[in-house]
Amino acid sequence: MPRALVFQFGDSNLPIQMQKIDRTRLYGSKEVEALDAEDHLCELATLADDGRTLVGKGCTALGWLDADGKWRNKSELKPHNVDGDLVEPVPSSFDAPIKLFDTVPAEEYLAHNIRLMYRMCLEDVEGEGKQAFQDLVKQLQAGTIFSFPYSYRGGLEADAAFLLMNEEEHVMMVVGNRTQSSFVGIQSSATEVTQEDAGGSQEGDLMDFDMI
Amino acid sequence: MGEINLANSSGRDAVVATSSVTDEKVVRWLDDEGRQAGSSRLVKATLQHDLPQLLDEHGDASKLSQILVDGDPEIDLENTGRFLRETSRVYIGEDRNIVRNVRFCEVVKNADGTERERRPRHLADTNISSDTPLRWSGVFIPKDKAVRKFVFSGKVQIQHVNGLTYDFLFAMAKDLEERNSLMLLGAGPKSNQPLVLRRGGTPYRGFLEGRTEGEKYLLLLHFSNLELKVPTEMQEEAS
Repeated sequence: MPRALVFQFGDSNLPIQMQKIDRTRLYGSKEVEALDAEDHLCELATLADDGRTLVGKGCTALGWLDADGKWRNKSELKPHNVDGDLVEPVPSSFDAPIKLFDTVPAEEYLAHNIRLMYRMCLEDVEGEGKQAFQDLVKQLQAGTIFSFPYSYRGGLEADAAFLLMNEEEHVMMVVGNRTQSSFVGIQSSATEVTQEDAGGSQEGDLMDFDMI
Repeated sequence: MGEINLANSSGRDAVVATSSVTDEKVVRWLDDEGRQAGSSRLVKATLQHDLPQLLDEHGDASKLSQILVDGDPEIDLENTGRFLRETSRVYIGEDRNIVRNVRFCEVVKNADGTERERRPRHLADTNISSDTPLRWSGVFIPKDKAVRKFVFSGKVQIQHVNGLTYDFLFAMAKDLEERNSLMLLGAGPKSNQPLVLRRGGTPYRGFLEGRTEGEKYLLLLHFSNLELKVPTEMQEEAS
């Protein structure tokens, strides 16, 4: 049984199971196979810069080197953002209840690129959480989109997650990242050349073909 | 910055710019002295020393385990730990040598994992900036309905390239804002084909969203290849 996310809605904690849904489960999938002249399956490998060393799948690793080119353990390094501030890691969303208070309009939701989709299984909610669960469903049916930060394992930064109801009235959770877009306007407007701009020149000056 | 050939509701078309809206969060890893460290890819084992090769050479896994305990056949002293730079992707055959004449085949599978079709790979050409403009489909989906129906996995911002195209796009954004809807955008003469952003890339359904703020506008083209729905077999399991 997968771990349940616990949502704090009102005064109640609602444990909700998640079921991941991807394209393969909805529509099937498409795989690309590489075949040789005899129709035998080929595997992808890495050819090193010497032109002869071949490295197979899973036979490479990542290492960290400092400014002197010396080996460093990742645990000795600290993450910083572009402003030079230390990035505080976020805990896993499974470690504590997620507060379900913030809602967003459709435009804000549309400002995100979504990469994960889950079905939230609410069937097992019993006891005192039942009323809170029914209130939550009512809000979702009314088109409310709840927003909260989410991180599966914990890490440097939480993703943006949303709880909403689809057209078939299933409670869904989607996870994504905010994009950066901004309103754009015309940079410069076409203006008529005024007499002042033309340096007070007379019509005769403007029509002076001698200066060409 | 890319480009897109787009037509408005009157059938007038223009080639305008597209820009990425992806927000890349940059994290730098610093040591105790505040100096930046970088990651490098290195070799763990070469093809001549990896598990399938060792199994071929030494027979079954239990025999190989003892050989690994007794010695270090998996270590290639010349290459293990070597940094990998300027590499190339190659295909290797059953004999673990490079195959130079590779052909690609697409295997289409159903949702239950069964094979539906096997065909030569076809790389679809990009169709958002071709000579044929993306037509104004006139199919509007209210925003509240669209967010409950589709999963939008990508987007680009559409921008003007000169004064004329500013008016063209502003009017488009204003129209969409007043309708409070997204407009389905497809390729081809009937606007029913999916959008392909780059050759061989994933085909998407396009949805145009417009907003205005004074003299400024925001025109976003959302991409989706997934509906916000639950697979039938998952629904049956639940019931």
